[in-house]
Amino acid sequence: MIVVRGLQKSFGTARVLRGIDLDIADGEVVALIGRSGCGKTTLLRCINFLEEYETGEIRLDGEDLWYRATPDGVRRRVSEVEARRMRQQMGIVFQQYNLFPHMTVLDNVLLGPRFAQRVSTAEAEALGRRLLARVGLEAKMSAYPAQLSGGQQQRVAIARALAMRPKVLLLDEITSALDPELVGEVEDVIRSLLSDRIMMVLVTHALGFAREVAHRIAYLAEGAIVELGSPADILDRPKDPGLKEFLRRVR
Amino acid sequence: MPPGSLALLAQGAAVSLLLAAVAIVGGTLLAVLLAALAFSRFAVVRAAYRVYVYVVRGTPLLVLALLVFYAMPALDLRTGPYIAGTLVLIVYTGALLAEVFRGGVLAIPRPQWESARSLGLPPLAMFRKIVAPLVTRYTLPPYVNVCVMTVKASSVLSIISVWELTLAAREIIERTFAVFTILGLAAAFYFVMCFGIDRLGRLFERHLALKGFAGERA
Repeated sequence: MIVVRGLQKSFGTARVLRGIDLDIADGEVVALIGRSGCGKTTLLRCINFLEEYETGEIRLDGEDLWYRATPDGVRRRVSEVEARRMRQQMGIVFQQYNLFPHMTVLDNVLLGPRFAQRVSTAEAEALGRRLLARVGLEAKMSAYPAQLSGGQQQRVAIARALAMRPKVLLLDEITSALDPELVGEVEDVIRSLLSDRIMMVLVTHALGFAREVAHRIAYLAEGAIVELGSPADILDRPKDPGLKEFLRRVR
Repeated sequence: MPPGSLALLAQGAAVSLLLAAVAIVGGTLLAVLLAALAFSRFAVVRAAYRVYVYVVRGTPLLVLALLVFYAMPALDLRTGPYIAGTLVLIVYTGALLAEVFRGGVLAIPRPQWESARSLGLPPLAMFRKIVAPLVTRYTLPPYVNVCVMTVKASSVLSIISVWELTLAAREIIERTFAVFTILGLAAAFYFVMCFGIDRLGRLFERHLALKGFAGERA
């Protein structure tokens, strides 16, 4: 379970997150929607600590992430060693796949288990093969990222994130950079993960897909969650005028 | 051509190549350490790096060589010209290569860092698996540039009586006055060495080319 409380984040004088509260239950899929610049990607990046944040707490299964209060009340970031251990409980998939170009597909998937989690080579390889089979790319194991299509690269990136056996999967607009005909294969992979009951937070503009896979949808505007509810509530019975306007524009 | 001069020049070239090889290996190791300092989280360390690069890079190699050669006995370090000369070359090559590597690190796209960080890779694995392979590929052409320059720069050490190709040539010329023949030959030896390094660099480039990119055939 993930608990986010009072999360605030600024870039200079611009306040990007103005006090986010969000609970994600085990096995739950939450979609973050909103117009660009609303802070949804920043929220996702804060959860993985790719961005620092000034106030607020993020807890994963009861453990405080990223910051600790010292006895004299000063807030300090956790040590690098601890941050690494915490990050290993999460997998993140980026809009632009971000595979390592100098490694084969299999090595990309193995890297985390092998060198961050110190799993034996044999075990990591077995895991890598299994995950690549799962995303339908076992045949491309020895290919290099640039030899694959965008959809295939993104599926490798999902396998790479899953290889950490994460408690939560963070998906940052993972189909936005893809040609329309490649979107389906990536969405299929995500659909196939639903039965695993892994927590997922997805930032997306694909409202149809969000309706289908998400248990709840959060609509963000100007750094705050304005409306939060079931896909039907948010997409069919929106209350906030901003959300209504947003839905009209997207459709 | 004066008899025996070709053999002497070849021996001189061997010494030059050895000096350059030691300088390149030593300079590369030094440069990796220096480049790491350039990205230190402590401002003092970063400043120290910049001072090193500015001072070494901003001083003629000839002046550096003379300085070390004369300073060492004064400091009661009894080393011959070969040790002093090699050290100067390492220090000099190290400064140039450190900047090459720093540029390579800066060229790593931010998303690559973020991917590696999000996997929770420890620093050593991050260096071995991500930073070193990418920086090697990005910096191979300028790296070879510095290597070629180092071969030629070793000729400066003849001033502090390091017997290598240039000094060998000067000795033969003093004896025989065959200025153009001998200088031409020496230049040819330098050219062959530099050409060899360049070919070697190309070989590595092709070997390391990122698969699936246009650079594979460049």
